[in-house]
Amino acid sequence: MKLAQLLALPATLISAVLAIPEYSEHLHLRPLPNGYLYAGFNFTASTSLSAYESQHFRYFPRSLGQILQHSDTRELHLRFALGRWDDESWGSRPRDGKREGGTGVEIWSWLDSGGGKPAVEERWSSLVNSLSGLFCASLNFIDGTKTTRPVLSFEPEGTHRGGGNGMELLHGTLPHEVVCTENLTPFLKLLPCKGKAGISSLLDGHKVFDANWQTMSIDVRPICGLGGDCRLEIQQTVDIVLDIKRSMRPRNDPIPRPRPVEELECDESKSYHASDTCYPKRKEGEMAWSLSKIFGTPVRGSCHVADGDESHDISLEVSPDRAVEVSHGGSNDTLASHEQNQLVRTMRLPDSARQHTDISLPQHIFQDSPHQNRPTLYASRQITGCGQERGGMHTVLHNPHTHQQRIVYLESLPWFLRPYMHTLKVLTHPTNSHDRPTIPLKPDQMYYTPALDRKRGTHLELLLTIPAQSTVELTYDFDKAILRYTEYPPDANRGFDVAPAIIRVLPSTHNTHNTSTAGNEIGQDSYFRTTSLLLPLPTPDFSMPYNVIILTSTVIALGFGSIFNLLVRRFVLAEEVPRSAVAVRVAGVLGKVRGVVGSLKGRLRGGGQGRGGGGVAVGVNGVAAEGDGGMNGVSSVVESRKER
Amino acid sequence: MALSARLLTLRNSPVLLKLPPYLSALCIVIGIAWLFILPLNEYSRQTYVSENAILPGQVHTYFGGSEHNVFRAYRQEVYQISQVSETDRLAALENVLREIGLKVAAQPYRFTVAGEDVEGTNVYGLLQGPRADATEAMVLMAAWLNFEGEINYSGLALALTLARYFKRWSIWSKDIILLIPADSTYGPEAWVSAYHSTSPDITATRNVSSLPIKAGALQAAVALDYPVGPWGHRFDKLDILYDGINGALPNLDLLNTAVAVASGQMGIGCSIHGILSHSDSYRDRLTTLAKGVVTQSAGQATGPHSAFVPYHVDAITLKTVGDGWHDEMSLGRTTESLFRGINNLLEHLHQSFFFYILLNANRFASIGNYLPAAMLLAGSFTVTALALWVQSGQVAVQSAAKVAGTDRTEKQPELEVVKIGDAVALVPAATTKPAEREMLLPAAVVLAIHLASFLPLYSLNSLHRQYLPTALQAITATSLLLPALASTALTRRFEISTQQIQIMQSFSLLLLGTSLATLATLATLNFSLAFVVGVLASPLSFVRPLPRGTSTGFPAVLGRVGEAYQYALQVTMNLIATLLYAATSPPVVLYALCWYISQDVGGLLLEMAKGWSVQGVYTSFVIWAVWWPAWVVGGIALSSGGGQR
Repeated sequence: MKLAQLLALPATLISAVLAIPEYSEHLHLRPLPNGYLYAGFNFTASTSLSAYESQHFRYFPRSLGQILQHSDTRELHLRFALGRWDDESWGSRPRDGKREGGTGVEIWSWLDSGGGKPAVEERWSSLVNSLSGLFCASLNFIDGTKTTRPVLSFEPEGTHRGGGNGMELLHGTLPHEVVCTENLTPFLKLLPCKGKAGISSLLDGHKVFDANWQTMSIDVRPICGLGGDCRLEIQQTVDIVLDIKRSMRPRNDPIPRPRPVEELECDESKSYHASDTCYPKRKEGEMAWSLSKIFGTPVRGSCHVADGDESHDISLEVSPDRAVEVSHGGSNDTLASHEQNQLVRTMRLPDSARQHTDISLPQHIFQDSPHQNRPTLYASRQITGCGQERGGMHTVLHNPHTHQQRIVYLESLPWFLRPYMHTLKVLTHPTNSHDRPTIPLKPDQMYYTPALDRKRGTHLELLLTIPAQSTVELTYDFDKAILRYTEYPPDANRGFDVAPAIIRVLPSTHNTHNTSTAGNEIGQDSYFRTTSLLLPLPTPDFSMPYNVIILTSTVIALGFGSIFNLLVRRFVLAEEVPRSAVAVRVAGVLGKVRGVVGSLKGRLRGGGQGRGGGGVAVGVNGVAAEGDGGMNGVSSVVESRKER
Repeated sequence: MALSARLLTLRNSPVLLKLPPYLSALCIVIGIAWLFILPLNEYSRQTYVSENAILPGQVHTYFGGSEHNVFRAYRQEVYQISQVSETDRLAALENVLREIGLKVAAQPYRFTVAGEDVEGTNVYGLLQGPRADATEAMVLMAAWLNFEGEINYSGLALALTLARYFKRWSIWSKDIILLIPADSTYGPEAWVSAYHSTSPDITATRNVSSLPIKAGALQAAVALDYPVGPWGHRFDKLDILYDGINGALPNLDLLNTAVAVASGQMGIGCSIHGILSHSDSYRDRLTTLAKGVVTQSAGQATGPHSAFVPYHVDAITLKTVGDGWHDEMSLGRTTESLFRGINNLLEHLHQSFFFYILLNANRFASIGNYLPAAMLLAGSFTVTALALWVQSGQVAVQSAAKVAGTDRTEKQPELEVVKIGDAVALVPAATTKPAEREMLLPAAVVLAIHLASFLPLYSLNSLHRQYLPTALQAITATSLLLPALASTALTRRFEISTQQIQIMQSFSLLLLGTSLATLATLATLNFSLAFVVGVLASPLSFVRPLPRGTSTGFPAVLGRVGEAYQYALQVTMNLIATLLYAATSPPVVLYALCWYISQDVGGLLLEMAKGWSVQGVYTSFVIWAVWWPAWVVGGIALSSGGGQR
């Protein structure tokens, strides 16, 4: 089984694994229909386990190695992905989808399970936090709510002591994470040539992230040879699909302006074709391209650092009748396939570090459209329904082959999406009939971990058998939770990202009649990921809390103030109010002071005439004021007495 | 004196008892006058782009040059496609979309409206944003037939050219869906409902197939309406259509962006509601407001964009109007810039207003300014309802007092001793004792009439179209006769009392008022509908039983001749009142509306039925189940002759 899984890797890689040079790198190029180019970079380094355990690093990156040692990680798979693979026109996915991630960041790893659940969680937390720092990604946000423990979807790729016992699989996703140059730079830093020489010199952030689909992966696993010598292998891949035309645009004119009229290719067979009327001709074939034009730079030198690395660096998968030109430094050469009618042509970069290598292909018109392997499965997943209260999930899986397929369907949902499992329906119908799916399909196995609010997300895993040439629709309803208002991100109205579903197609067994033309050989499993989804949640108007706070505060202040006032105030006659001793004394002192001041003023003006007058006047005023208040008091008291 | 005692005496205050009709009238007058001050500068505002992310018109648009040649070719192609059968047309459209490089799908649909099948097929293509992650999408729509039923040659050709042009850009953060619905009402409705439907249910009136290709959450939709044939025609202005179903409006930011891009960046004037020469005067603003209120109150679709708005997808239609010097490339650049703006959005449009009344393309009144108008109207009904309730609770003392005045041997009105503290007073018992209210009959009558309202609602929305005018005639006759018949039955059979009539009217008005207040809930949802129904139903507040037969209230001095004269006068007055009342009945108003907009009744009813059964327009529900029952109850009260004392 383990050997079969190793075989799943591309043929070029197998040789690398078995011969075990300590480092090798490889670039695979394949033009895709409609003017796209697939470029798959593969960098493999390995070290013996004994060297790893004694912290002796050579090609294995030390920074990553120490993190893995610290968190007792047995096997690590890390993915950064962007864009989407177009199944319909590009065919099956590279590397059977095994080195591919869902949109954003995805990580799963087998950790040492010694010490029980808390210890594992501690290790997981330490792993994601350290990787977060290493790769400049928000991996530290993978907490309990974003972590699941899949049962059927993943199996360890490496050979582990004890047959895989004593370790635990944890899986986390960050669908909202935008993969960018800041993630590519640390990725390249892990390589021995750091993107300065060899095929990694093509990896420029501008080109990688202008791709229609790109995925970066890091896989660390132990492999043991037959002799029992074990090695730890790190495999780094970058898979990108570039739009040839867009990538070839010159750097000084990157804007796709309308071309001058003379450059338009018109369909002159149209009856209305005229000098000012031009029906654009359908593009056929593939335009001329070269590595240096697409990647903006030729391959600089080579990165043949390890001993015993005799493998080729670049392979090109084009039709055998296509002319391919290679230029090393100044000399041009033709790249021919080793055998007649072989699709793949290989070449090895010259060892000299100074020489630049470029590959160029002329324009090519296909006689028949290039053969593409049909994907093993088509999958699409959508959120249905509108409004902010509930919605539905709708997944369509379509098996184009004439044999049935067993798949594992994994969904890890955020806790604020609350699925109702009783509404889960799996219906199937033959693809060519136009009826709606009616035949219910019973999942062979189902693993379901319900969500806990703010603690754990939902984990749903289904083992399904999809009949031949049929479509399976999987639907369920869900409620949208209302978050606390501090739990919303700054861009609350955008919605929340839901991680892609992961589909694992299990290897077809021999007893099913396997007559497919599919690329996957018997005994291999392949992976798919749907696109990520946007879940709109009920969002408060965030200017509202402040309005509400201000308004309610005012209302409460007014209401409470007046009621409190009425409750605690006692209405009495003015005469009934005992004057406090202090007040009397203060009033006396004040009166004296005023008297003195008044007399002083009088003396200053007219020589002490008004000495007594000022004091008297003050007293009269005071009495008048008191009388006024007293009258009010009397009337209110009378009122209250009447009521009694 | 205790508060309750004070209030009890207030109950009999002559001022308060006479006040409600005046108060109610005041509410109506102020409510209507309110709309007339909205166009003033002090009560409206200049529009502004609230969402900073949009950055309207900040990008250079490159659509032009050789794209014009391509556009002309597409326009010819669309013209050629229009000459072939529907099946070939769909195939040809799909082919063009596929050549552009989009993922193409078709969606057949069928609706049954007013006994007729409406069938069609939507064709759409998905442009996957090269670097987008399939979570969001925006829709560029060019219906095959525009809202007036003309073939949208240039609009469709422009949409195709733009799709081809957009395909070359890698800047799209959202997918772009190019939607070509077969028509402007059913097609978009079928498409957008299928896009959001959780379970594709087939009903007798609705068969919409599910969509084979979908993208993420729709952020906005822009429809192009440029029905100019293969030889082109330059336009003067862009008319921006924005009304959604049931008066729901798109976010004001989308409109503002379109206006800012068209007039600010491209120099194309924008108009609202087809008012081409808008001088921004009070009069023009008021006209725009009136047209907006009428359109919104109808609640019907106004263009292909309308179907999107109820699904919280902000949508507008850009319609070319007039003769001028702007060509298709200007419209193309406007659309390009508009899409670049929407593409800039980081969040769903939420910043700006969803409730507004436009007075000009760049001036609006917000909900805080216009809502009191509808609320006052709703309030007028509630005031009358409360007054009637209070009246119904009073023992009929006045007549007793009068009788006592003429005949001295009669016993004095019953008095009651009221002691408050030390004070003692003698007051007529009637002022403190509320009369027993008999509410079963009024409640039953109101309920029965409300239930009966489902008959016109159902018949007008489900009969075959050829029977619709007849049905309306029947409903008119029935509704005009129903109050008289019902009141005769009630007075003869059930011997309904004045009090019960008052309670019945009170119930009905409360329902109307609160349902207008629910319509005030409706007024917050569809202000215009609540306002218009409120104005049309306003006479109901003043309906009191007509005096019947020789009244005792006339002075005896006039003698027999005078009495006969008075009788004739009274009959005439009653007749006039009845006629006036009949004129404000819902079916008569519908006829008047048809006469005013010079459309035949059948057509109007068909539109209403379409809206009801396809798009869920609830205007007819408001007319028949809210306004009509209130009118009938008012009619019963009017013709009841005051009932038994």
